[in-house]
Order: sequence, then C-alpha cells, then structure tokens
Amino acid sequence: MKKSVLTIAAASVLAMSVEAALAQDKPKPPPAWQQGKPAAMADSKLAPVPGKMTETPASEIPIDKLKLPKGFKAEIWATGLVGARAMTLNDDQTKMWVGTRGIGRVYEVTNEGDKRTVKVLAEKLTQPTSVYAKGALYVFAIDKVLRYDNAAKGAAGQPVDMTKAFDLPPEQHHNWKYVRFGSDGKLYVPFGAPCNICVPPTAEYAQIRRYNLDGSGKEVIATGVRNSQGFDFHPKTGELWFTDHGRDWLGDNGPEDELNRLAKPGQNFGYPYCHAKGIKDPDIAKDKKDACKDVTMPVTTMGPHAAVMGLHFYTGDMFPKEYKNVAFIARKGSWNRTKKFGYDVVTVKAGDDGKGAKITPFATGFMDPKDNSFWGRPAYLAQLKDGSLLISDEQLGAIYRISYSAPAKK
Amino acid sequence: MLQAIPGRWAALLTALFFCSAQGQVEERAKSCVACHGADGNSVIAGTPSIAAQPKVFLENYLVMTREGIRGTQVMQALLKDVPDKEIIGLAVYFSKLKAKVSEGKTDTALFNKGRDIAARNRCVSCHETGFRGKEQMPRLAGQREEFLAEVMVQYRQNKRPGGDTLMSAALYGIPEADFKALAHYFSRLK
Repeated sequence: MKKSVLTIAAASVLAMSVEAALAQDKPKPPPAWQQGKPAAMADSKLAPVPGKMTETPASEIPIDKLKLPKGFKAEIWATGLVGARAMTLNDDQTKMWVGTRGIGRVYEVTNEGDKRTVKVLAEKLTQPTSVYAKGALYVFAIDKVLRYDNAAKGAAGQPVDMTKAFDLPPEQHHNWKYVRFGSDGKLYVPFGAPCNICVPPTAEYAQIRRYNLDGSGKEVIATGVRNSQGFDFHPKTGELWFTDHGRDWLGDNGPEDELNRLAKPGQNFGYPYCHAKGIKDPDIAKDKKDACKDVTMPVTTMGPHAAVMGLHFYTGDMFPKEYKNVAFIARKGSWNRTKKFGYDVVTVKAGDDGKGAKITPFATGFMDPKDNSFWGRPAYLAQLKDGSLLISDEQLGAIYRISYSAPAKK
Repeated sequence: MLQAIPGRWAALLTALFFCSAQGQVEERAKSCVACHGADGNSVIAGTPSIAAQPKVFLENYLVMTREGIRGTQVMQALLKDVPDKEIIGLAVYFSKLKAKVSEGKTDTALFNKGRDIAARNRCVSCHETGFRGKEQMPRLAGQREEFLAEVMVQYRQNKRPGGDTLMSAALYGIPEADFKALAHYFSRLK
C-alpha cells in the first residue's frame, strides 16, 4: 500500500514552512467562526462533518442501502482509498488515479477488468488532486504541481516539478482543486474564496482559470465563484458547466448551491455580493446597490448547503436514452444545516442553453432523514467505456459502479 | 506478581493472554503511555494528555502522524507502518480512559478571565459543552496548561504541522496573554 516519495515529502515540508513564515506578514482574515455568523446563530453548534481516515473493508459498506431507479444496480468497485475524491482515467482505462484532501495521498488504481488493485502513488501532499492529460498525470496540491510522465505505464518515478509555472496562491481554505483537461488542450483549475464570506484578500481567489499544460497562458475565465468543486464540458456545446457551493450561516434554507454554465469567458457569477438566483449578501453587500448587476444567474440552484461536488454529463450507451447528455451531480451533503440535506447523486436535465432545468434524485439512501444519520458521502463521478458510472465515496474511501440492464419484458 | 502492578496494567497484561488482536493494541499502548501517562493523563510538561479524547480525533491524529503530515518526529517514527486496525484500537482504548484535572493551584482571576475569553470566542461551538471534545474536535478540559498555551501560539502562527487552518483562523488576533488565561481555564475543567 505504501510507496514512498521521500524527496517530494521533504520538499513539500520545506515549502510549507517557508509559506507559513511568509503568511505571517499578511493581514489575517477574521476568525472562521465570525465570518458571516449572525448574533442569532452565535450559539449554534453546527460544525463540519468529520471524515473517516481509516480503511473500510467492503464487508462494512452497506451498499444494499443505495436506492436507484428501476433497472439500475450498484456494486462495490474498489475499496481502500481513504478519503477518495476526484477520479481520472487514462485513455484505455487500465489506470485510474484518485485524489484526496486531509490524508494527502493520490492513489493509483489498476483496473484489470473484474478486479482492481490500489496503491499510493504520491503522499504527504497538501490536499492533492490529479488529472490525466496527453499521456501524463498532473497532480495539483495547494502549493504544488507535479507531472508524472510515465504514470500510465505504472512506473511513475520521480515527477517533474511544475509548481513555479502555475502561480498558485497560498491559502488552503476552499482551495482544494478539481482539475479538468479541456478539448482545447488546456487545464481548467478553480481557486476558491479562502473564507466563508469575505471580499477575497487578493485577486487570486474566487475564480476559475485555465492554463496551457506547461502552466503558461494563464487566463481567468470565470469570476465570483465561491467554491467550485466540479465541472464538465457540455457534450453538445462544449461549454463549461460547474458546481458552486453557497455560503454558510444564513440559516437552514439558503443560499442554495449552484449549477452554473459558462457561456463565454469572463462571466461573473456573483460572489461575494450576490448568491444563488439573486440573493444579495446581508454582510458584504449591505450598502451595495446593484449587488447582482451583470451577474450570471445559475442554470439551477442545487439545494441549501448541499455541497455539490462532481458533475458529469452522461454520454454512454448503457443507460436508457433519456439519460443521454444529462448532467449527473454528486451532492456530498450538508453540515451547516439542522436537518441533513443532499448525500445523494441527482440528475439535472436542461436545455443546451441551460434553460428549463429539472433536478431528479438518482442515487439516494446514503443518508437516513429519520435520524439524521449517514454512512456515505458521494463526491465524484466517472464513466467507464461500457457506459457504467462510477461514484467515489469520500467517507468510506470506496468507489461504486452503477450499471443498467433493462428489466425483462413479460 | 500481578498484584504488584497497578490495576490498569494488570488488566492490560491479562488482555494480552486472551486476545491477540486486542493484545497488539495493548502492547502498542505501552509505548504511548510511556510519555502520555499510565492512565493517559500526562505528567510530562509539553506532552499532552490523551485520556478521554474523542475517538475520531485520536484516529485522525494518529493516521495523519503515521502519514508524516502531523505530529512530532518521535510520534511519526513510533507510528510508522502501524496498520489502521491498531490505530482504531488505540483510539478506542484511550478515548475510554478517564481525564483528570491538571495539577497545580487554580488562580481564580486567571480562570475567570479564561472563561470569559472562551465564551467570547465561542470555543464551545466546536469543542462541545464542558470542552470535552466532539468527533474530530479535541477535548480541552483537563489538558495540560503549558501544552495548550504552546499549541495555541503554534496554531495562530500557522506553525502547527498538519493543523487545521480553521483553528488557526479562529485564533488570529488573540494576544498571547489571553492564551495563558484560556489554557489555565481549560486545564482546570473536569
């Protein structure tokens, strides 16, 4: 399970301490508990849901509790990936890499048809994710970009350190990155707001950028994006659709998370002044007229505190026709809400222009509303060549495979 | 011979005979209690008490230390390659031990000052009623005073390896004198 990359570890520890020292000199944001928490909620004990940092064997995963539409089936595809988040596959899908957050690892999954083996490709990184592009694996941590040229051959070796070229800002909060490789040959990278609600400390945050593979050509393509944790390109229009988390501490019912569509580079999606479908921020935008002026409204809101994560447009042939080109979205589930919300995968059916969006639950049963308990937190989605859909579960460090076969006709 | 050994140690040794998996945990616990106290209440300055810490907090701390992204070098060396199931065992074991109040005289004025600062900063919203900790949030009640004061400084300076940045942000702007009062207050709670 262990594969040491000691030199990287040493370098990252060094980089972290230098960064920490530099951070001393900058003005500090207000304490987290204070950011946007109104006096009325001062005594609230809502707190982030704890993750699980130890391995969960398949025998302890209650996969039978998953509820799916008729004809769909769920099975456990891989386990032992503690903290599993975004998945990326090589072209022939013999290899998959899976990023994490707190545990600092990137896993390498070898897919041998009916079985999977899992090992640790990189470790001791600060919130790493990965993306496969043009034969190489790119690992993005908060303070590091590494390129593994031979990852698909299963012999990753020492990575090329690309950090300098990508100009990453230092703040960690909301800065775990989901990274995608576009058909334009560019890497798409989000930079979240380093707070619950604030005017970001510098112009490096609350945005989505794209870069050339070597880090050159940096371009901010979307602004006012609080915390996007997932995106995909529309299969027909090629436009970027992305999820975005709404702010906390404005009560159980909002502002809702968003599904957005970038129709042209440079659009502003409202943060920190304007949330969801035009909610003016009561803290930051109190005295601001036109808080929502020139703000692009979401395709749809996605529910209060839902924690919308991975987004995947289904393009396979296995599922029934009505799922073709439909967006699947994983909602990891709420913490800043009295009654839990989300903890599911939903579909969003909308016009190519984003109009007429309709949300339908797809995979539910991760959470039990009766006692507010949950066992899994669906985070990201990936499609296999046979058209089946994979869901990563960050809580139990597992990947589930959803397949479809038409019910037999009577 | 067992009579000569304090009760908890006797229980430990007995367990060793009967259950090998549990035995491994008990055996492993010996290297913990050497510094953290026989009953999980540390008597060594700068070394925290671990008795009655929430299981999830202990689990997360131990895993991240094993991974080399938290904790001290000594702890990292002790935990190298320790499997998850033993880590879970250790977490369960120490979470069930009883916490003691820190030794030493209580300075009432400092205690009251600390209580007020804690209230103002809403420490209880994460660290739970009585500051007994909750899930991934550590117990503060009864923790060693000098350890708490030192850790708060480290957090505020973003120098606590692997520490949660939210905790750092919660301490920005609080002067060191206030940390002393907070540490005194928490350490005197049951």
